Amino acid sequence: MSSSRRSFLAATGLASAGLLWRPGDAWAGPALARTPAPNSAPASADTGARLLAQSRLLRDEALARAAVDAAQKAGASYADVRLVQWQREQLSVRDDHVSNVGLREEYGLGLRVLADGAWGFAATSRLDVKAVTDAARAAVAMARRSALLMPAPVELAATGVVRGAWVSPIEVDPFLVPIAEKVDLLLAAARGAMAVTGVQHVDASILSVREEKLLITSEGSRVHQIFYRVMPGLTATAIDRRRGRFASRDHEVAPMLAGFEHVRAADLVGQAPQIAEEALRKLHAAPVVPGKRQVILAPSNLWLTIHESIGHSTELDRALGWEANFAGTSFLTPAQRGKLRIGSERVQLVADRTQPGGLASTAWDDEAVPAQRWDLVKDGVFVGWQTTRDLAPKIGEARSRGCSYADSYASVAFPRMPNVSLQPGPENYTTEDLINATEDGILISGRGSWSIDQQRYNFQFGGQFFWEIKKGRLTRPLRDVAYQANTVEFWNSCDMLGGAGSYRLGGSFSDGKGEPSQSNAVSHGCPPARFTVNVLNTGSGA
Amino acid sequence: MTLTRAEAQSLIKSALKAATLKDVAVRVRSSSTANLRFANNAPTTSGEVERVDLSVTATRDRSSATVSGTARDPAGVAELVRRAEALAALAPADPEHMPPLGPQTYLRPVAEDPAVIKVGPEARVDAVARVLKVAREGKLEASGMYVHGHQSLALGTSAGLFAYHAETEVTLTATCRTPDGSGSGWGGAMSHRLADIDAVAVARRAADKAEMSRGGGPALEPGAYTVVLEAQAVADLLDFLRGSLGARPADEGRSFFSRAGGNAIGESLFGAQIKLRSDPMDPGNPSTPFADDGLPLQPTVWIDQGKLLTLASSRYWAQRQGRAPVPAARSLFLAGGTASVAELVRGVERGVLVTRLWYNRMLDPRQILATGLTRDGTFKIEGGKLAGPVKNMRYNESPVTLLRQALALGKPERVVNDGAVVVVPPMVVDGFHFASVSDAV
Repeated sequence: MSSSRRSFLAATGLASAGLLWRPGDAWAGPALARTPAPNSAPASADTGARLLAQSRLLRDEALARAAVDAAQKAGASYADVRLVQWQREQLSVRDDHVSNVGLREEYGLGLRVLADGAWGFAATSRLDVKAVTDAARAAVAMARRSALLMPAPVELAATGVVRGAWVSPIEVDPFLVPIAEKVDLLLAAARGAMAVTGVQHVDASILSVREEKLLITSEGSRVHQIFYRVMPGLTATAIDRRRGRFASRDHEVAPMLAGFEHVRAADLVGQAPQIAEEALRKLHAAPVVPGKRQVILAPSNLWLTIHESIGHSTELDRALGWEANFAGTSFLTPAQRGKLRIGSERVQLVADRTQPGGLASTAWDDEAVPAQRWDLVKDGVFVGWQTTRDLAPKIGEARSRGCSYADSYASVAFPRMPNVSLQPGPENYTTEDLINATEDGILISGRGSWSIDQQRYNFQFGGQFFWEIKKGRLTRPLRDVAYQANTVEFWNSCDMLGGAGSYRLGGSFSDGKGEPSQSNAVSHGCPPARFTVNVLNTGSGA
Repeated sequence: MTLTRAEAQSLIKSALKAATLKDVAVRVRSSSTANLRFANNAPTTSGEVERVDLSVTATRDRSSATVSGTARDPAGVAELVRRAEALAALAPADPEHMPPLGPQTYLRPVAEDPAVIKVGPEARVDAVARVLKVAREGKLEASGMYVHGHQSLALGTSAGLFAYHAETEVTLTATCRTPDGSGSGWGGAMSHRLADIDAVAVARRAADKAEMSRGGGPALEPGAYTVVLEAQAVADLLDFLRGSLGARPADEGRSFFSRAGGNAIGESLFGAQIKLRSDPMDPGNPSTPFADDGLPLQPTVWIDQGKLLTLASSRYWAQRQGRAPVPAARSLFLAGGTASVAELVRGVERGVLVTRLWYNRMLDPRQILATGLTRDGTFKIEGGKLAGPVKNMRYNESPVTLLRQALALGKPERVVNDGAVVVVPPMVVDGFHFASVSDAV
């Protein structure tokens, strides 16, 4: 066991939890002390073990095993069963009042089988022996029927048998913080923003999510995991009725694999007046003059550009045509690995399912493959793919990269994006250094509108706030800014990167892919970085 | 696990019986869905899913909370009610809360097709096999999905409202690509009736476009073009207009339809041939006859002869503004003519034919300005004829342009759309803006 794994176990307190730690059990938990990464506090000594031991899912573990047995009896060569429970608490306020207090729960069993070399899947929220054995038989029957059209059977990369458990580190369980406290926080933030003259509307919200799953495979693996994710949000809207214009400004806080401590740290109340002031500044900002321009993209903007241009194009299933009908394919092909330059030499992009705070961080994926960290783009050259067990053999790899994920008991696991992050530059530049070095450009922060083609070449992104840069100084706010580029030209134009101190995580709960469509939660870390792009004015004129 | 009217009503009754508060609303959604996906001319994944979702909104002194879960036995339902009531006691008041609606009279569209309910793995594989055969014969690679479902939605309130609607739905979409990746085409069909889904026709549509775009084409200069938009592309852009047909954002100054001191109802904003309406009773394309809060959905004309007639208004906003509430559109019918896409192309001297639009995102709600890209078959039109494929392009354009600068409207057809029944014609539109070129195929 590596020292980082030992320190992780010590930090979570799970190593000593005899209840969970049986001989032969494996741990592949994320290391907590890697830099660069945001500080993420470990769980208190016994929280993880207690949560796992109290789990409602344990009561249905025998049913899950019965489903695996039924699938094998019906002729499955492989089966995995997931018991999955989601809890989502959404609290929203608008202006001076509560607009939503909602708690959504979902719990059920999903079962995936291979029979005659084809996949089948069935899911039910009815948890009794008859329902789950019916589901197992249905999954095997549909796999066998599909197999009639398969030119070659599905092949799975080998993976070790694991027995383990993991709880994502939190300081404060968001579901134990009283509703009234959370709503008071949101109302106070909204009041703070509404107090700024000219601001007519404020929306503020906290989404707290708990995902728990117990995975049992016919190969003998058993993995029990609990994830906490939180997303605070605040938007102020200023309206100028005389000129028929309005502008909204979002808080740039990122959602995180974390507890309520992350919501508190976002300081919605303290930041609200500034967000409101900036909505007004946007309203009265100067329209941008379009043209080829240098832009400095803050991490709060660049994370989504990484997600769309690199995150999706390095999904091997897309490159192989598996998503051609909906999400699309990729401009990258397997033959280009190790050869194609897609960025300047300073561009290092790393896939990482062990990143502290990362929304896609886990200990094992939905095929019981351990979480990993690997290179996608090294010194500007495309070097790595995202894979699952049925993808790895397609490019001659013996092991899966561990990217299998299903967003519900009712969804089939398929390849989903890990956290993909741009590494900081060695010069330790700050954002100010990048601004000072820029003669004529724009500093863009926050997430605006975004759109990219189905092979990930041409993209056009907006932002939340835009500062004009002239002669190394921020001069005035701009509005109606969008930047458009081609993925390869964009990453090749990257000529300055911030250092480790400027690295931040951004992320989303709603990375959509697949049919029927599924949502993946994923984070992307990056420093601020400078690029050359086409700047557009998306407004209706002056 | 699609609950019948009686089953849904009994579940709602047991929830209302368990309630101690006077203002409780219950919603039950249930579905059985199944799908078969395919790619590279072979099945990839398939699935059958049973879902039930029961949602309870409890309110005390205008303080509301909603709790939902997969419970369906009386004990589980009672627990959801208990938790909703406990949360409501903690929630601060919502001054916009409206008391629950009492009994309503609803239209009763017939939206269930027994043939869809009977579809099993054999029929799914048969449909996909027909698509693959067309692709193989054309030396093309097919991918896509066949998905069908049977679902019901029921609402009940402590004031005596009960609403129920069940429907079937079947969708087949297919993409055909040339093996060298130089050409791509798409076809899709969606209906509540199994007989409306012709797998071979969908596959042929995709295969023909892929064949026509094989080898790729030149890049056109960005700029304004006369375009022929197929119905799917019209619907992709019109979705942004559907989302903008709200009275409150207009009255509050946050919308294209905002005017000093009010909104644009009554203004002639679009071309005289534009008529846009909703109708849950459309015989070929029925849809849910009630809104989430139980308000009945009636046939509604949003735009007639280019004039904006109404905007959607919640019960709260309608009461505040002294108007009648108007539920948001669950279906959209844009009137057209009789011309096919080929006939529309014949009337265009120079232009571009667009199959569908992709990754569409709002840029500026003030103008309903959106961006996105053409996909799966974009062709040059010269002298009323298709003159070969061109590279895909990014557009920055508004559905308002479609409704103002339409030169001709073709025969309306049902398109593939999540969340609403959409029936629109292909259109010839003048001055449609392409902003940049994409290498994507």
